[in-house]
Amino acid sequence: MEELKLTTTRRKILIGAGALAAAAAAAPILAACQPTPKTGGSGKVTVMTDPNEFSDDDRKTLENATKLKIEVVKSDLTTLYAMFAAGNPPDVFRVQAAGLPQYISRKMVKNLQPYFAKSTLLKPDDLAPANNFYKWDGKQIGKGDLYGMVKDWSPDFTLFAYTKAFDDAGVKVPSDTTALTYDELRTLANKVNKKAGGKRVYWGFVHSNNDQWIDRTAMNMLAEKNQNLYSDDFSKLVISGNPEATKVIRYLYDLAADGVNETPIDPSPNWMGADFNEGQIAILQYGYWFSAMAESDKTKGKTVMLPAPTWAGVRRDPTMTATGWVISSQTKDPDAAWAVFEQYMGGKPAQDRAKSGWGVPGLKSLYPQMPQQTDFQKQVQKVLQGELSKSDFILQFNPYIGEETFSTSWKKNLEPALKGTISFDKFVQNIESEVNTAIADGKRIIGG
Amino acid sequence: MAGATHVLPRVMPRPALLRRRAVRRAATFYLLVSPWLLGFVLLSAVPLAGALLMSLTNYDGLNLDYVAFVGVDNYARAFSDPEAQHALLRTLLLMVLVVPTGLVLQLLLALMVDQPIRLSNLFRTIFYLPYVIPVVAGAWVWKIFVDPSGGLVNALVGAVVPDVNIRWLVEYPTLVLAVFTIWGAAGGGMVIFLAGLQGIPAEYREAAMIDGASPAQVTRFITLPLLTPVIFFNLVTGIITTLQVLVQPMLLSPGILGLSPGTVPPLDNYLYPVHAYIEIFVKQLFGYGAALLWLLFAVVLGLTLVLFGTSRRWVHYGVEA
Amino acid sequence: MTRAAVRYVPVSFFAVVFALPIFWVLVTSLKRQSEFGSSLFPTQLEWPNYQLAVVLADFMHFALNSLVLSGSYATIVVIVSALVGYGFARHRAPGRNQLFGLVLALLIVPTFVQFVPQFVLFARLGLTNSYWPWILWALGGSPFAIFLFRQFFATFPRELDDAAEVDGAGPLRIFLQIYLPNAGPAIAASAIFMFLWVWGDYLYPALLLHQDNTTLAVRMANAYVDPHGNPLQTVTMAGVVLYVMPLILFFAFAQRFIVRGIVTTGLKG
Repeated sequence: MEELKLTTTRRKILIGAGALAAAAAAAPILAACQPTPKTGGSGKVTVMTDPNEFSDDDRKTLENATKLKIEVVKSDLTTLYAMFAAGNPPDVFRVQAAGLPQYISRKMVKNLQPYFAKSTLLKPDDLAPANNFYKWDGKQIGKGDLYGMVKDWSPDFTLFAYTKAFDDAGVKVPSDTTALTYDELRTLANKVNKKAGGKRVYWGFVHSNNDQWIDRTAMNMLAEKNQNLYSDDFSKLVISGNPEATKVIRYLYDLAADGVNETPIDPSPNWMGADFNEGQIAILQYGYWFSAMAESDKTKGKTVMLPAPTWAGVRRDPTMTATGWVISSQTKDPDAAWAVFEQYMGGKPAQDRAKSGWGVPGLKSLYPQMPQQTDFQKQVQKVLQGELSKSDFILQFNPYIGEETFSTSWKKNLEPALKGTISFDKFVQNIESEVNTAIADGKRIIGG
Repeated sequence: MAGATHVLPRVMPRPALLRRRAVRRAATFYLLVSPWLLGFVLLSAVPLAGALLMSLTNYDGLNLDYVAFVGVDNYARAFSDPEAQHALLRTLLLMVLVVPTGLVLQLLLALMVDQPIRLSNLFRTIFYLPYVIPVVAGAWVWKIFVDPSGGLVNALVGAVVPDVNIRWLVEYPTLVLAVFTIWGAAGGGMVIFLAGLQGIPAEYREAAMIDGASPAQVTRFITLPLLTPVIFFNLVTGIITTLQVLVQPMLLSPGILGLSPGTVPPLDNYLYPVHAYIEIFVKQLFGYGAALLWLLFAVVLGLTLVLFGTSRRWVHYGVEA
Repeated sequence: MTRAAVRYVPVSFFAVVFALPIFWVLVTSLKRQSEFGSSLFPTQLEWPNYQLAVVLADFMHFALNSLVLSGSYATIVVIVSALVGYGFARHRAPGRNQLFGLVLALLIVPTFVQFVPQFVLFARLGLTNSYWPWILWALGGSPFAIFLFRQFFATFPRELDDAAEVDGAGPLRIFLQIYLPNAGPAIAASAIFMFLWVWGDYLYPALLLHQDNTTLAVRMANAYVDPHGNPLQTVTMAGVVLYVMPLILFFAFAQRFIVRGIVTTGLKG
C-alpha cells in the first residue's frame, strides 16, 4: 500500500503539526462556550492550607463555630496558580509574607481592613508585630490596610546550639544573654565544624532553611545598615554596585565556601531541622517554632537557644516567613470566608496553636499560653522575651518577583562557584542578571 | 482515470461501484477513529490551543486582568537566553548518552530472554521491574543506592579501593541520571522488542537454520531486519521521552528528598524541561515557559522528521499491508 | 556446555546488575532509621517498617484508589486504541494520512505543555476532584497505544480481511473476531504501559484530585515522615516495596498472557 510507506509519513507529521495550529486558531470560539465558574454563596468555604497546620479537628471546630462547610485543599503553589488560571481560586489561602506584595499588587487578595475594624476577636491593638507584614499602603509593606494575618510567627534569626559539638571541640557555648556578631559566629562555626574520614560529624552553622530563604537573611543583615538588596523602587537588584550588599553576600558565600554550611556540593539528604535532631549540626538558625522539636533523643538536654546574631550592632529579629492566611479577591462570599478566617486566627484553633509552642501567637493576648514547663522551654522563653522587643521590624520584599526567584538563582549559581567553575564576581553577576530580568518581567506585567 | 471511461464506455458502472465502496470504506474509517477524533478535539486541541495562546502573552499565572499579547517576543527571547541554550545542550547530551545505549540494551535483553531458557519468566520480571517502579520511587531508590554513606555503590567501590567516599550525585550527576534513566526504561523497551520478536513467524528462522545458518546469522539476517519497525518505534519513543525528562533530575538533586518548586538540580543536570519548569513555576513566566516548551516540540519534531527521512533506508515492513 | 554458558552467563550478569538497586531497597527497608546512614546492613530485620509504611500512608485506601483509576483507564484506553489503530491500519479514506500524522504529532508534543491549560479545562467543566478526566482521556484513546496497535496490525496479512469480507463479515466483526483475539502481545504490552502511566503518575493526580481520592503515588510522596516532618528513608523504602508489589503480580499475569497470545504465527497458515 502506497500510503503505508514511511516516505510519506514525514509529510503526514508536518500536516499534523499544521492541524494543531489550525485547532489553536479555533480556541477562542471554544473558550467562549465554556461555562463561567461558580463557587461560594453556597455555605461552603474552600481553604488552601498545609494539612499539618490545619487538623481535621480544627476543621470540625471551625465548621461548628461558623455553620459553614469547609473544604481543604493542600497548599501547593502549582495548584494555586492553576486554580487562579481556572478562575476558581480558593476562598482562603495560606501565604508567606514574601509572596504577599506580589499578590496584593496584582489585586488577587482582599483588603480586610473593614473586617478587622468590626471584629471583636481580632482587635488591631492586640495584633502581634509580625502582622505588619500583611499591611500594604499601595507602595510598600508595613504600613496601611491589613490584607491578612499570621497564623503564628517567630523571631526567625535566633540560634540553636548543640552543646555536645562545642564540648567535642573544646569550645565554650556562647552566652544566651549577649548576641554574637556574625563575624564571631563565622569564627565559631569553623571551630565546631567537624569531618572525620571524609564523613560529616558536625556542620558548623546551617541557616536560611537550606538557602531557600537566603535573600531574607541577607536583607535582614543589610537592614541593620538601612540598606536593602534592591533599589528603593525595587526596580533592580543591586549587589555589585553596593559595597554593603557585596559584603553581606560575600559573607554568606564565605560560609558556604568554608564548608560549615550545607551546600549543593556538600549536601545533606535531610532538611536542616532533621540534621539538628540527629546531632549533626552545631549551630542552627531557626525561629522560636523550632524549639517545639529541637529536643530529640540525641539532643535532649544538650540544646540551648541563643539570641539572634548582629551584623552591625543594631539588633533586628523579625520573622522571615510570617506564614498566614489571606482571602481571595475573587471569593463569592467574603463574609463566609472571613468567618472561617476569624475563627482560625482568634478562636479555639488559635489557642491550641499557642499552647503547642509551634510559634508565637498572632495575638499578643495569647502570648501567656506558650508552654514553659521544662527547663528547655524556660530557657527558650527567657531568650524569646529578649527577642520580642527586637522583632518589630519588617523585611521589604520585592513586589515584582516570586518569593523563590532570588534563592533559586543563588542555588543554581552557587554550585559552579563552589566548584571553581565561575568566580565570585561572576556568581554575583549571574544572580543580578537573572533576578533583574525577572524584575523587569514583573514590572511589565503590573505596569510598575 | 477520466480517459479510461472514454475508452471503455461499457464498463461505466464499475467506477461508480468503486466510488460507492470507497465512500463506504471512508465512512467505516471515520467511524472507527471517531473516539480518538472526538477526544483529540476536546481534550487535546483545546488545551494545546490554550498553551499556544499562552506562549504569545506575558501571562504570569496569577491575575488574568494583567495579561497582554506580546507577539513572538517570548520566542525571540528564548534564542538569547544562555540558560536555555545550556539546558538544551545538556538535554541533547543526555539523549546521546541514553538512547543508543538503552536501545542496544533493550534489544539484547529481549534476545536473551526470548531464548528457550529456564527461569525466563524470572529474568523477564527482573528486567521489567525497574520499569514498573514509578519515577518518584525510582529516584528514591537511586538516591539511597548511591548515597555516600548508606549506599551500596560506595560500599562496593570501597571493597576494591578502600577509603573512598564518592558523592555521586554531586560529582557525577549526569552519569547517575543516565544510568537511572536507562535502568528505568529498559524493561519497557524490552517488552516491545519481545512482542516484536514473537511476532516473527518461527518458520522464517527455522527455514534459515535448516539452510545451515548459525544463530548469529539468523539474528543478523532474519531477526534484525524483520525487527526494524520495532527498533524504529523504540528509537522514536526513546528520543521523545528522553528529551522530555523533567522530574528525574529534580528528584535526584543532592539534598532533600522530594519535589518542590524550589529544587534546583546541579548545573550538569539542568535540563531543558527543568529550565521551562523553573521559568513557569518559580519565575512565574507562564508565557515564556510555554514558548520554551513549543520550541522543544519543534526540536523533537525536527529530530523525528530526520528519523523518518532516514527510515526508508533501513526500516523494512516485512509483511507490507 | 559452552552453549549453555552463552545462554545463561550474560543474562544472569544483567539480572544481577538490574536487581542490585532493588536488592538495596529491600535491605534499606529492613534497617532501623538510625542505621540508615551509619551501617551497611541491618543488625536485625526491622519488619515494623512495613507496618508503619501501611499505617502512615493509609496504604490500602490509596492503593485501592490507584487500582480503580489505573485499571479502568487501562481497560478502556486499550480497547479504544486497538479499535482506532485497526482503523488506521486497515481502512482507507481521504484524510487518513493527515490524521495519522496528527496522532504522531501528538505523541511528540511535550505533555508538560498541556499541563496548565488542561487543568483550566477540567476545572471549568467542573470535573476536578473526580476520575472523569481519566475516563475521558481513555475514551479518546492514547496516541502511543494507537501507534503501537497500528504498527502491530499493519503486519497482519491482508488476505484475512478479504476472506472474512467474502464471508460477509463487517469491519467491527473482523476487528472483534480476527484482530483483537490475535493482538495478545500488543494488548498486554500497551495495557501495562497505560496502567503504569496512571499508577506512577504524580503531576496530574496531584493537580486534579483531592487529598482523599488521590492516588498512592501522591500520597506516598508526603506520607513517610516522622511527626516533625523528617523523612523516614527506611519506611519509605518499605513503602516502595509494597507499592511495586501489585505491579509485579500484574506483570507475572500479563507475562503469561503475552506468551499465550503468541498466535500471530498461526495467521500464516
